[in-house]
Amino acid sequence: MPELEIAIPRPQRWDEPFGRMTDGDVNYLLKIEPFCRIDARTFPPTLPLRGILQGDTRIVRYEPGDLIVREGDYGHSAFLVLAGTVRVALERLSPKLLGRAERPRRTWRQAIAQLWHNSRLPEVRRRAEIKPAANGASIRHDPAEGTPRVFVQDVPQLLSTTGTARLGTGEIFGELAAMTRTPRTATVLAEGKATLLEIRWQGLRDLMRRTPAIRTHVERLYRENSLRAHLRETELLRDLPGPQLDTVVAATQFESYGNFDWYADFGAQRRREAAEQIAAEPLIAAEGDRPTGLFLIRSGFARVSQRYGHGHRTLAYIGKGHVFGLAEMAAMFDGNGDVAWQNSLRAIGYVDVLKIPADVVLQQVFPNCKLQNVKCKMQTGDKEDQSAIRNPQSVIAVGDTAAPLDSSLLDFLADHRFLNGTQTMLIDLERCTRCDDCVRACATTHDNNPRFVRQGPTHHQVMIANACMHCVDPVCMIGCPTGAIARDTDVGTVRIDDHTCIGCSTCANSCPYDAIRMVEIREPSGAIYIDEATQLPILKATKCDYCTGQLTGPACQAACPHDALVRIDMGKVEQVSAWLGR
Amino acid sequence: MVRSFWKRRIRNSGLLMVALALVWLWVRTRERNLQPVAHETGYIMIAAVFFLALYNIRKKVPFLPLGTSSTWLQWHLYVGLGSIGVFALHTGWHWPTGIFETSLFALYASTMLSGLFGLYWTRTIPGQLARVGDEVTFERIPALRRRMQWQANETVIESVAASGTTTLADFYSAQMYGFFRLPRGVKYFLRPTTSRRKSLLADMQHLQRYLSEPERKACEKLFALVRRKDELDFHGARQGLLKYWLFVHIGLTYALVLAASLHGLMATAFGGGL
Repeated sequence: MPELEIAIPRPQRWDEPFGRMTDGDVNYLLKIEPFCRIDARTFPPTLPLRGILQGDTRIVRYEPGDLIVREGDYGHSAFLVLAGTVRVALERLSPKLLGRAERPRRTWRQAIAQLWHNSRLPEVRRRAEIKPAANGASIRHDPAEGTPRVFVQDVPQLLSTTGTARLGTGEIFGELAAMTRTPRTATVLAEGKATLLEIRWQGLRDLMRRTPAIRTHVERLYRENSLRAHLRETELLRDLPGPQLDTVVAATQFESYGNFDWYADFGAQRRREAAEQIAAEPLIAAEGDRPTGLFLIRSGFARVSQRYGHGHRTLAYIGKGHVFGLAEMAAMFDGNGDVAWQNSLRAIGYVDVLKIPADVVLQQVFPNCKLQNVKCKMQTGDKEDQSAIRNPQSVIAVGDTAAPLDSSLLDFLADHRFLNGTQTMLIDLERCTRCDDCVRACATTHDNNPRFVRQGPTHHQVMIANACMHCVDPVCMIGCPTGAIARDTDVGTVRIDDHTCIGCSTCANSCPYDAIRMVEIREPSGAIYIDEATQLPILKATKCDYCTGQLTGPACQAACPHDALVRIDMGKVEQVSAWLGR
Repeated sequence: MVRSFWKRRIRNSGLLMVALALVWLWVRTRERNLQPVAHETGYIMIAAVFFLALYNIRKKVPFLPLGTSSTWLQWHLYVGLGSIGVFALHTGWHWPTGIFETSLFALYASTMLSGLFGLYWTRTIPGQLARVGDEVTFERIPALRRRMQWQANETVIESVAASGTTTLADFYSAQMYGFFRLPRGVKYFLRPTTSRRKSLLADMQHLQRYLSEPERKACEKLFALVRRKDELDFHGARQGLLKYWLFVHIGLTYALVLAASLHGLMATAFGGGL
């Protein structure tokens, strides 16, 4: 009779440690700043300080010129300098130096030459093209570290021509990008031999929770560097006088909801029932509860929902820069003492919010801002009109999210997290003749290799095709060891530098939408390239590059004869709505 | 940029009417002045035919910034429709005489008709496809069909093993095996209907009274498979029509370009000073 149960050890957080930390390493860390000043007794037995250092950190040694972080990379860890010095570039370094060759716009001649230069075989690379040096970047393979590293060859020359700041032993950097999953704002390289402690974000988060000094340090940095600018970007606070804004800055609370690594279990999440999916989303504000403040979304996405029958109906989703709770705050300001949240706000995946407490909003913000303008935005028209509270759209009226889409489509987009896309490929199946001109055009512009699949989830007549959406939160970029996948800072597209890609599949495994394909590459004769050491095929990550460098813009869209295909920013719901209602 | 299709249709139709009216006025003026018009309308006609054929070339070079395919299609449609008027002016509303002219007329008419049919199909079939069954890629249909056939076979074989009777299996081999094994015929390809599905489902419904419990369960699975196979056939037929008409249209276009060029050359060479 087959066994019905098999006992195995329950998987634990540190089963897969970040690095190979020995007891000696941890003992050493516990003796130095800032860990020697942390009270280990404040950590619970299930989450000891020693465990965090053992499981969530690693000691990394850098050679002179090694790039530690690059501007534009997505952060998932912070660094503490243990020995040596590192330099923070105060200017933007050339993409070539960082291993990200710019793709120049083709000329007409080059475009026409594609007619006879395109390969007949799939995924052909000439031998010269697959060497990392082909794009000017230098990659060092260090057997001790295991991961390849991009480095700068002439450090003295770089330092003499570029403004830099020096960081020495005991100094921390990269913590803001790690905690907020935002792009690194500067490039940091090792000046000489340097030893750094890399702390992954989970460990940093727990250290922050238990160690007020570290939390205060990170929050102070954010308050000093970014919070004021972020608040000023909000329409409500744009014209707020300086002293009142200072009060808001001081009172703003930072809150995070959801799982930072949401993409890891996204596949399993998506298979759950819709009601279960919503129920599993962390609640930021619960419908019916008394409002406690105004929520500003700092990063990530949140679902605005309302009870409907036995479930919750999505009214809108909101992202970076959007506000929740304005209507309720306005009602409280108007003297309505019996106000409750009219909708719920839930984290989709992971969301960082800034919470301005209600008393600060009522005493500092509303009396000093152009409330009438805000109310106009809320579509109330009349200051005394309390219908804003009942009108779910008013909750999300600041920003451009007033959602004219039907609720089922919003549910679909939120459940599949398609709202992450800035260049999502939508196909109108009521107009698409399935001619595949889009796929052929994509292939023709990419050396006869299509970079998307004309298939994907559908809702009524809308199909979201399996093409890179160039996400707002590009989780594919997290963990790329060579920084081959990066966002183009000028146009916002996420591109893979073929020369720098080492085929590790980290990006393809991280992409929740399966938009990245690992391909075996071959030389023009058809011979597959294999690794000398392992005899396994050399892989490269491929995906839609939004036709960067082409003269036409995205070839798929330009090739659709029936206006059935569009690349659209899902954050601009009104564009989606206008496109559907043509 | 999002545009309203209705506004575009009205604007383009209006422009076409104006253009045709201008050509007609110009031709009438020349005729009243006893000036020849055959060559002039012929040049317009041949230019239109070449322009219409150029659209296929545009599709082959998506990497050149020659305007979007959608804009080209609009021009293709309206120039194509306008060419009917120019053709009428060119022929003077007369039936052609001679083998070559008749062939040329037939080629133009069939190209135009195939285009009009194509326009109708490309505007109606996508909606039908979106409403019926799951979205499937045309090239995967044979593989999906084979998988469905395998599933149906397995279901029936399992029912025989479970029940020890062959009532369902006999019915399956007599009436359903071919349905699962083969794509549908030409008649279905041109005008798909649900009659075969309805007839099979009705027969299966009737058969239920003779089935054992395991066979009945298998029959339920077959019900679902018949529906899915019918939807797959529908997608195969409709998507196939959308693909194959284009081959016909393009083939006719190339023949028309050749014949029209030859006609133009001969008319220029042997025009006798007209």
